[in-house]
Amino acid sequence: MDLSLDTRHEGGHTIIEVGGEIDVYTAPKLRDKITELVGNGEYNLVIDMEKVDFLDSTGLGVLVGGLKKVRAHDGSMRLICNQERLLKIFRITGLAKVFVIHGSQADALAEH
Amino acid sequence: MGATRTSPSTGTGITVAIARDPALVRTVRLIAAAVARRASQDEEFVEEVRLAVGEACALMVADPASDSGPVTVTLAVDGRLVVDVVATGHVHVDDEPDSDVDGVEPWALLRGLIDDLAIAHVGDTTTLTMSWPVRAA
Repeated sequence: MDLSLDTRHEGGHTIIEVGGEIDVYTAPKLRDKITELVGNGEYNLVIDMEKVDFLDSTGLGVLVGGLKKVRAHDGSMRLICNQERLLKIFRITGLAKVFVIHGSQADALAEH
Repeated sequence: MGATRTSPSTGTGITVAIARDPALVRTVRLIAAAVARRASQDEEFVEEVRLAVGEACALMVADPASDSGPVTVTLAVDGRLVVDVVATGHVHVDDEPDSDVDGVEPWALLRGLIDDLAIAHVGDTTTLTMSWPVRAA
């Protein structure tokens, strides 16, 4: 399973719906997409990970790098994730306290 | 060349060697999941093995200090699931203060995942050994 990235705009946010596996091979594609969006002045990102099947430390690094990029522009990055196996990875690495993680797109877009 | 391990005469074992190509790490994850699933129907266990083996392979493949030779992964089940990941070169196995990738310490996840993790440097090879008790479903 490769990585799929679908982007759309809603409520002043740019939503990236990620599908597949974020690993040492595919993570650069996500990094490039985030870099492209930030380069286009899109600083409020929502990363929807509901269709992500796998996430490793390389993928985590890309997410943290993206968070740093948007914060440098006073922007935000919110994650959407309900999968316990992925949430466990965020907890182990201490990143559950770094990211704002929502259970749904509605929750992510509702919170200001 | 990475060392290989002969499969035990009892139980289940498999050895696979991959080039240091990040695209091939997924193949090892699939094999690891298949072996884990054969040992146990507990999907949480299978997922933990898949993640740990994938993470270990990714760290070995991506290590800048050891850029030649294959990464060899041996999985054996005989009461416990034992996984050896072997790479040529002296792979760095700690997160130095300046070694993080965008703020993530790569080895922290693996060490956090696995209770039974051993790392050995013998000659020109680095061997990472992980094991789990085989859980009933």
